[in-house]
Amino acid sequence: MRDRVVYQLSAPYREPYTLRALEFGSGGPTVAIVAGLHGNELNGVHALNLVASALRMARLNGTVTLIPVVNTFGLDQGTKRWPIDDNDINQAFPGDPQGSAVQRIAFALLEATQAEVCVDVHSGSPLVDEICQARVPLTGREVGLARAMGLPMVWRREGDRLEATGLVGAWRERGVAALHVVGGRGATLDLARSRQIADGLLRLLTEVGVLRFGMEPGKILVDATRRGVAYHYSSFGGFWVPEVAVGDRVAAGHLLGTINEVVGGSLVEEVRADRAGVVVTMRSYPVVHARELLVRVAEPT
Amino acid sequence: MPTGDAVHIVRRRFVGAPGPRVAIVAGIRGDTPEGVRVAHKVASLLEQHHDALRGTVDIYPCVNPLAAHRGERYWPFFSQDLNRCFPGRLEGHAPDRVAYTLTEEVRDAAQVIELRGANPAFSEAPQAHVRARDTQAADLARHANVNVVWARQPGPAAGSTFAWQHPNTLVLEGGTGNRLQPKVGVALTEGVLNVLNVLGVLPDAILPFHWATITRPLMVGDDRVHRVRAVAGGLFLPSRGVWDEVEAGDVIGEIIEATAGEPIETIRAPASGRILAMREQPVVLPGSMLARVVVTATQESA
Ligand SMILES: [Zn+2]
Repeated sequence: MRDRVVYQLSAPYREPYTLRALEFGSGGPTVAIVAGLHGNELNGVHALNLVASALRMARLNGTVTLIPVVNTFGLDQGTKRWPIDDNDINQAFPGDPQGSAVQRIAFALLEATQAEVCVDVHSGSPLVDEICQARVPLTGREVGLARAMGLPMVWRREGDRLEATGLVGAWRERGVAALHVVGGRGATLDLARSRQIADGLLRLLTEVGVLRFGMEPGKILVDATRRGVAYHYSSFGGFWVPEVAVGDRVAAGHLLGTINEVVGGSLVEEVRADRAGVVVTMRSYPVVHARELLVRVAEPT
Repeated sequence: MPTGDAVHIVRRRFVGAPGPRVAIVAGIRGDTPEGVRVAHKVASLLEQHHDALRGTVDIYPCVNPLAAHRGERYWPFFSQDLNRCFPGRLEGHAPDRVAYTLTEEVRDAAQVIELRGANPAFSEAPQAHVRARDTQAADLARHANVNVVWARQPGPAAGSTFAWQHPNTLVLEGGTGNRLQPKVGVALTEGVLNVLNVLGVLPDAILPFHWATITRPLMVGDDRVHRVRAVAGGLFLPSRGVWDEVEAGDVIGEIIEATAGEPIETIRAPASGRILAMREQPVVLPGSMLARVVVTATQESA
């Protein structure tokens, strides 16, 4: 393994910002995996470190580049964004070597991840729990790679605005296979989900031919497009009490949770599933405003 | 709101004789009280003289009240930049709905004016921004009592900003974020009133200033606005102020090392002109923007 400093940026009052990449193996095929673009999304950081410890003991046929943390300054302080000037690194792509700090970091990160297959790992927001999922375009090589990862959800979707200005969009612009992996909740470490993501990444490396592990295939619960996913929003503000958790199977009409008055607790609204499916997103922070996303239920495969 | 109280986004409507409808929007970000104050000053003048009006003026003095109440840029809770939510969605959560409602509200206005302050890290000269292709807005901006009219090419996020939703929107800004500067507030207020006069909404007689006192702006495109960035990280100490005249190569500030205080970089003007914006927040990283210099002389074409 090579622990390489990819980029440095001097910073007032502290040691310079340092972007580190862990490199394994040589030659092709090439895979790059990134986490911690958002400083409070920690499941991916742990997952990449688990992958690193597996790769240290493996014989590789190809090259794997792991970047477990991009936004180290944000991670130090528990913030999603780059804390100086409060910028989102994941909206600074394709970056600029002469631009602002986040643009320089974005540019250096793109340079450091010149691989045939690229993965960017995130958590949900600190307020929301997400099933481990690979988000990919509707068609193309990514779909097969996502299925090979065997995470509980494969979500085939048209790229959204955030993806387009972010790292995944910049990779796709380059024409390589780019996967956007999301799992768990921001600002927490979920060991089971981190392991699930790490296993998915190892299956991906096997699928690409870099590894020859005999891994058990993962269990895909949902393989959906946007039409197969029901979004449930709050009609009123109040105190949200979930009745199910991410990964649960529910029947049509099943009670997903209730909104109650903050003072007194009287029932304001019941939220029920409109179809049978798997709970893939759950609002975990109880204070909600009107029209906020509470639950997503996806039709099972 | 979860606890049952409501947050209202206020529209103040002034209706006069038949005429065009103008929408004035301020406070899309919560750290721009300068725009909010200008909206209030314009409203109070219209209130005194609404019988002399031709047309309708709708003023939205503060469209992000939850952020303004905390002096922060973003809509709280999800920390969302309201100025990246446009055109919004009716079925979305609160900031998306505010964006949607505002987009619909201004849809049939003859003219839209957005009032901003500056980013809190900077001090800025009074300036108007228009889209490069909106020549009608650029012509109108000449009357906005600003030092510079900047016709900008759209950046990658332009489509999700308020100013992009309605053609010929005029964006006025100046001063510093989270601060009120008396001179800037007066300049922008007079600018808005003068624009209303040019649009035929306000008669000459009630303008509280003489038209000849209106600043004649410099009209520029992106090619005449130079950004100055830090090479080293440290503390930036400006030695010149906003709208100072500079020659190419003049020292406009320095960067000192943050813990020992030794000077590590001299910052010079990249071109001759005036300082359009100057960084006030001293902590900088390599690449942080320190100043904008606008070229005053018109370049001869070869
Ligand atoms: Zn993220």
